[in-house]
Amino acid sequence: MRILLIIALALLPTASVLAETPSDAATYQGIGSKGYVWNKLTPERAEALRLKGDMDRGREAFRGCRGCHKQDAFGRVDGIYPRLTGQYASVIIKQLTDIRAGLRLNPKMEPFISPDAVSVEEIADIAVFLSSLTTIKENGKGPGDQVRQGEALYVQRGCIKCHGSRGEGNEEKIYPALGAQHYSYLLREMELIKVGARGNSHPDMVVALKEISTADMEALADYLARLPDRRQAGMK
Amino acid sequence: MTPNESISACSLRHRRAVRVIESFLLLMLAISIPLVVPIAARAEGAPNPLCAGCHMEDGNSVTPDFPKIAGLDAAYISKQIMDFKKFKRVSEIMGPMATQISDSEIDALAMYYSKQKRTPGVVTDKNLAEQGQLIYTDGIVNSAVPACSGCHGEKGEGTDKFPRLAGQHTAYLNTQMSNFKNIVRNNDARGVMRAITLRMTDQEMKAASEYIASLKGE
Ligand code: HEC
Ligand code: HEC
Repeated sequence: MRILLIIALALLPTASVLAETPSDAATYQGIGSKGYVWNKLTPERAEALRLKGDMDRGREAFRGCRGCHKQDAFGRVDGIYPRLTGQYASVIIKQLTDIRAGLRLNPKMEPFISPDAVSVEEIADIAVFLSSLTTIKENGKGPGDQVRQGEALYVQRGCIKCHGSRGEGNEEKIYPALGAQHYSYLLREMELIKVGARGNSHPDMVVALKEISTADMEALADYLARLPDRRQAGMK
Repeated sequence: MTPNESISACSLRHRRAVRVIESFLLLMLAISIPLVVPIAARAEGAPNPLCAGCHMEDGNSVTPDFPKIAGLDAAYISKQIMDFKKFKRVSEIMGPMATQISDSEIDALAMYYSKQKRTPGVVTDKNLAEQGQLIYTDGIVNSAVPACSGCHGEKGEGTDKFPRLAGQHTAYLNTQMSNFKNIVRNNDARGVMRAITLRMTDQEMKAASEYIASLKGE
């Protein structure tokens, strides 16, 4: 009981105002730290997965996210804010609970997704809502002249094993769909994953991106941004 | 921290004293108006004259420091009055006023004002309003300020949780935003307005206010 109180008190200042500082280095348990376990089932994640999300409540709760991710959750074509439409519910839940656990840093979004701002129930609701969205719009694309090279790298480097032959990902295994995501966002995430700055990464993906050149990452992003949305590709 | 934020403690104290005096005068004004408004002049179903003194009979205050409350969602109005009553939202004027309204009267008042039509706002600076449009509809990416329209709606129409802003007085909007920023007002749901205004400069807040004044809510 006392420990809970202490934790709550310790969290108060971070929750009350914008916390630009990354989570405490001493408590950071992301990739690169000793004993890192990918997709560790934290109590919060277990709860979010157990709950049956509600579409209408999700739409309502998502109102607080639209200022950045936009009214239709399609994000910005400049990639500053990713598109969230059609991403798997399991992936949304993993990312949001990882962000709240301080594994994946996102200071821009932090005050809007902290436990003060959004309940676990709402995470489950938002996940159901977003995964159901079928809006298909023009996403942010790359130059388009490196698609073939990107496709080759996608196979060679083994991305295909997890993200699928058409970038459709895998709901059960919690591998995100990448097709038709904004180019600049894809590129930025690859860079973060490569250097270990996206703390919740799958270790095998970090290996897959090891010693990759910027040019090759650009080619991969060029290819991925031009893949169709998973529903357009006839994937579930 | 911008230069105009680093006010010395002395001038801060001074400003606070001026504010207290100002508030006192406003309060006296607020109390005296209903006394001179004859009760017989109250429109059918019109609310407590205590409110009309500042917000006017139809909820469209004409004094830029007092908010227009016409057309706000009833649930939102009720929450604010309750917050004033419990001092969760601190206001030298509304605090004492709210304690004079019984809980049972709150919902009726809220319903009445929610049904009034809001008058158009006054834009004082067109250039600033243009800058404000960008902030309101698209946010500020460099400082990760979300677009206001995400919550308050493209036309400033609002919902039961996010207040209608369209046509509001710029002076009132500016005061509220700086109150959030300085945590003088902290009854915003989930601390979202505090987080957002913390990322905004005074100039950006003013620009947003100007654009909001131009919105029609529909
Ligand atoms: C202040 C702007 C802002 C707000 C408000 C915001 N986000 Fe985000 N969000 C971001 C940014 C920036 C990123 C990408 C971070 C990065 O590059 O790693 C992001 C990433 C995400 C991701 C990860 C996407 C992926 O593909 O892995 C999810 C999920 C998400 N946001 C959901 C939400 C939800 C739900 C809300 C509302 C409760 C919300 N966001 C509110 C800025 C915001
Ligand atoms: C072992 C499976 C696996 C492999 C191999 C893999 N990934 Fe991933 N990838 C993931 C998972 C899981 C995530 C989500 C991050 C997390 O939670 O680990 C992800 C996330 C991403 C993201 C960010 C998506 C988003 O919405 O934020 C990009 C981009 C990406 N992967 C690209 C690649 C590329 C390019 C390769 C090949 C070089 C690759 N991945 C190889 C499993 C994998």
